[in-house]
Amino acid sequence: MFDTVEAFYRPGTVHEALRLLQNGKNRARVVAGGTDLVVEGDRSIRFLIDITHAGLSYIRRRGKACVIGATTSMAALENSPAIRALAGGILARAAATCGSVQIRNMATVGGNLANGSPAADTATPLLALDAEVVLADARGRRKIPLTAFYSGPRKTKMLIVEVAIPALPRGARWSFQKLGRTEGDISLVNAAAGLQLDAQGRAKWARIALGAVAPTPIRALGAEKLLVGRKVDQSTLAAVCEEAAREVRPITDVRASAEYRREMCRVLARRALEECAAATGCSL
Amino acid sequence: MKTMEVRLKVNGEPKQWTIAPGDLLLDVLRREGYFGVKRGCESGECGACTVLIGGTPINSCLMFAAQAEGADVLTIEGLAHGDKLDPLQEAFLDYGAAQCGFCTPAMILNARALLDRKPHPTEEEVREALAGTYCRCTGFRKPVEAVLAAARGSGR
Repeated sequence: MFDTVEAFYRPGTVHEALRLLQNGKNRARVVAGGTDLVVEGDRSIRFLIDITHAGLSYIRRRGKACVIGATTSMAALENSPAIRALAGGILARAAATCGSVQIRNMATVGGNLANGSPAADTATPLLALDAEVVLADARGRRKIPLTAFYSGPRKTKMLIVEVAIPALPRGARWSFQKLGRTEGDISLVNAAAGLQLDAQGRAKWARIALGAVAPTPIRALGAEKLLVGRKVDQSTLAAVCEEAAREVRPITDVRASAEYRREMCRVLARRALEECAAATGCSL
Repeated sequence: MKTMEVRLKVNGEPKQWTIAPGDLLLDVLRREGYFGVKRGCESGECGACTVLIGGTPINSCLMFAAQAEGADVLTIEGLAHGDKLDPLQEAFLDYGAAQCGFCTPAMILNARALLDRKPHPTEEEVREALAGTYCRCTGFRKPVEAVLAAARGSGR
C-alpha cells in the first residue's frame, strides 16, 4: 500500500527521531499508532519514523503537574489509576471512547492531537484541563498551551513529545460528554467542562470545551465568561449554554447537520455543567 | 524497490522476513501464509485483521510490518495446541458461534486477550471486547454466549 516508502526508522531517542525528521525534509512522517496515518494513505511519504521506542510512553507526576508522554496509548490512559483519579477521570473516560479495543491499543494521545481532527476525543478534556503541549525540533523544546497549538503550530514540523496537565483548581468538578452513533464512533459533538464554586454557590472558575463544532476543538470562552461570578442555577446554565451554542461554528457533513450540531452543543454543555454542579453538591 | 529485514516471532516460531519499508503487517502475514488474518475494510473499522501482539489485540491493517520487529505475534493458527483446540475455539463450535467464519478468528483472538487479562469477565466486558470486530452473519449473541461459557469452563 505504501510502496513509495524508501526507509522505515525506529529511533530509540527523541534526539535521533528529530535528526531523522530534519533529514527527511518534507518527505518524512512520524508514525506511532498508525490509526490515522495509515488510513490517510499519503503517497508522498518517503521516510517513516516510528517514535514508539523513543521513550515517550509514560504517565508521571512532575511537581504539581501530570505529564503524559506523546506515545502513551488510549488504552494506557483509560487504565491508568492516576488518569482515572485526575479531574473526575474525564481524560480516561474520553480515551475509552476512542474507537474499538484494538484501536485504543494502538492510538496515542500525541497522535490524537497531531492529527488535528476537530472531533479528537482527548482534545476537549485536555482543553478543559488547561493542558500544555511540549513540542520539539532540532533547535530545542518549547511548551505552549493546547489552545495555541490548535491556532498555529499544528501544521509545523515540530514533534509533540509530551502533554502536561497543570495543577487543577481546588475542589473543581468535571464532566466529559460525547454524542456519537455508537460510544466508540467518531464524535458528532463532544464536550468537557470543569467548574469550581465558591461558598455562595457562584461559579469561581469554569472551563467549557467543545469538539466537532468548529475547525478545531475549542474553548467556549464567551460562555465561560458569562458563567464566572454568577450563581449557578437553571437560568444561568440556560443562558451560558445558549451562548456556547452561539459561539460555535459547526459544519454539515455526512454525520450531522450544522443545525443539529449547534443544538447538541447546547445540550451537551448543559449536561456537562449540570454534572459538574451536581458533583459539588449544588442543587439546581 | 527498497527492502529491509524484520525479525519477529509468529505463533512462537522465530521468523526473519524480507519486507518493503512501507508494507503493512496484514499484507506480510497473508503473504507468509497466515490466512486466518483476514483482509476486510483495511481501515481499522471491521477488526477482521486482528492479531495479538504480546497478548494485546491490534488491527494488523493499521500497523507497518517494520513495527513488528522483535514482536511476539499470535494469529488464530497458533491458538490450538496440536490437535487440542483452545477452550474458546471449542466453545465457538459448541455454541454455533460462527456462520461464514470471516470474523471468527478476530473474535476468538479478542476474546482470548480478554480472558487472559480477566478470566471471569462480565457480559458487558465480553461485548466491549468483541465490539471492534464486525459480524455480518450471525450477530453477536452466540459469540458472547460462547465466550462466557469458555470463561465458566463449561462447554455445552
